[in-house]
Amino acid sequence: MSVAPPGESANCVRGDLMAYATLSLISIFCAIPFFWLLIASFDGNAQLFLRWPETWTFANYLRVFAKEDGAKWLFNSLFVVGSATFLVMVLSGLGGYALSRTRAWWKLPFLYAILLIRVLPSTALVVPLYKFLLTLNNAEGALLRPIFGSATRDIMRWTGFIDGYLGLILVLATMQLPLSLWIMKTFFDGLPRDYEEAALMDGATMIQRIRRVLVPLALPGLAASGLFAFMSAWGDFLLPLILLSSPELQTLPLGLFRAFLRINEIDYGLLTALAFIYLVPAVVAFGFARRFLVQTFSGGVKG
Amino acid sequence: MIHLNNVRKFYGALEVIKGVDVTVEDGEFAVFVGPSGCGKSTLLRMIAGLEGIDSGDLVLNGTRINDVPPDKRGIAMVFQSYALYPHMTVAENIGFSLSLKKVAPAEIRRQVEEVAEILQLGELLDRRPGALSGGQRQRVAIGRAIIKKPALILFDEPLSNLDSALRVQMRAELQRLHRELSATVVYVTHDQVEAMTMADKIVVLNQGTVAQVGPPMDLYHRPDNEFVATFIGSPKMNILPVAVTRESADRAHIAGPLGMSFVLADASLSEGPARMGVRPEHIKVVDTQAAHFVAEVAIVERLGVETYLTVGSIEQPIVVRVEGDVTFRPGDRVPFAAETTACHIFSPDGRILRSAKAA
Repeated sequence: MSVAPPGESANCVRGDLMAYATLSLISIFCAIPFFWLLIASFDGNAQLFLRWPETWTFANYLRVFAKEDGAKWLFNSLFVVGSATFLVMVLSGLGGYALSRTRAWWKLPFLYAILLIRVLPSTALVVPLYKFLLTLNNAEGALLRPIFGSATRDIMRWTGFIDGYLGLILVLATMQLPLSLWIMKTFFDGLPRDYEEAALMDGATMIQRIRRVLVPLALPGLAASGLFAFMSAWGDFLLPLILLSSPELQTLPLGLFRAFLRINEIDYGLLTALAFIYLVPAVVAFGFARRFLVQTFSGGVKG
Repeated sequence: MIHLNNVRKFYGALEVIKGVDVTVEDGEFAVFVGPSGCGKSTLLRMIAGLEGIDSGDLVLNGTRINDVPPDKRGIAMVFQSYALYPHMTVAENIGFSLSLKKVAPAEIRRQVEEVAEILQLGELLDRRPGALSGGQRQRVAIGRAIIKKPALILFDEPLSNLDSALRVQMRAELQRLHRELSATVVYVTHDQVEAMTMADKIVVLNQGTVAQVGPPMDLYHRPDNEFVATFIGSPKMNILPVAVTRESADRAHIAGPLGMSFVLADASLSEGPARMGVRPEHIKVVDTQAAHFVAEVAIVERLGVETYLTVGSIEQPIVVRVEGDVTFRPGDRVPFAAETTACHIFSPDGRILRSAKAA
């Protein structure tokens, strides 16, 4: 450590104090909403304002799952977003690999074109998207109804394009795919071809090369692309709002939104408990993927 | 024995391998050497089966293997980056090819330990490649190749990732392994020192063609062309533009830059412009009366046991090797003579006209 003259050292200390004070203020500013959320969700009589609960209780959480359809909403969210994430990981893994290895002339134009999907606000596309999915949905219904009769509605809840899981999963995955493809393409760019060629020389078939060499090597990249897809899709509100109408298909953000809109009263305890439940999966996902994220964005695989 | 017969490769309309004929005998250590872009790595990958062969035959032990898939050729390859799988242990890396063939785990373990014994990797088997030094990774990569008991092992610039001290050590190590395994090896490098020190047979490649094939000392003393002459040997052979005039039936006069003038015992050279090649160790400091030329010393590089003098002009520098430590300084004018028996004469387009008589 260098020894500074007394005056300068005092300046240093004062500078540090200022920096810490500013940073602390900003941190508190950022953290307070979460803090309010946390304590209000355990408050038997939660209010709009930050206050220390008089009684600590789990009643708000019980209400989410017993009185409301909280479990159903959570399942819907996890299922839809989880499926979309899985789809994104598979497609971006395979597609990123292909985009990294191909020498086709359309590679760069294609990559920039798909980035455009990401840049365009999805709100602008809501009407044509809805119209398109509705047409698909009607076609599917017309096809299924003669075969399954009255069971069609139950099947369509899973495979429908409007008011069905499938449609929302596909649209969410499509929204997330461009960024994930870019992440995986860049990741595979940094992965020497030698690994595959060595496996080829060792007699590995295409499937063995993917399963035993490429997938393990690509895990950090896949975790990163999956995490981004999950977090972004998890936070999406507009698409489920437009594409889902049945109460039994509602996702968590929709449940939260509709609970907020109820006319007679605003139940802050219920809202904060719902919001907290909504936060947890994103934090857990980040915790899992953090290790891989650091690896992906600080220089790929080291042999 | 591997035999390449008029092998060609095109990238689009560009011919990168232009009809190569090479034979490597069983147990031979053959080195493909050449500057970057000469096609040596492409040729190696064609032998491995990682690149297709557009025309010609690739014959391994009597069987044409042009269309045999890489893993069925009985050829193993050590990659420049080693390509060790970071998610597998050393043992899993070495045994990977066996595990793909569904060999029983106990048998894999036995063979891996056998290979580890040869390569002195015993204690490292449960580590991951990330925890190994460069030399150890190199040995694991070799282990992964030799466990397949290949008829031929290919090395693609395997020492280029190592520091220079380790490189010298691994050169010796590779030679030892080659002797112990009596393996047939094709080794690609751009470093002529590696080629000279390790090879039984050197194949010098230039722009997709074979410039010369032969044992290291043949190439050193009797290069077929100016390219091989300057590529093999360090420091490089001096090449000087000269004019040949006949003095008599068995004597030719050579006139070159820096007032160079001397007579060669020669019966075959015809008069006209030519290029003379002479290695730094074949130019001597002599008395003024015996001098072929007198030149000013520009650079003195003292290495202790020998000293390299760069003399003459910037346009036409001549490097001279002098034994021991010498007292010359830059600016000194020194008389030199070339050993006439060690002079190579090339035609203006680089073909050999007169080889040195040296052993």
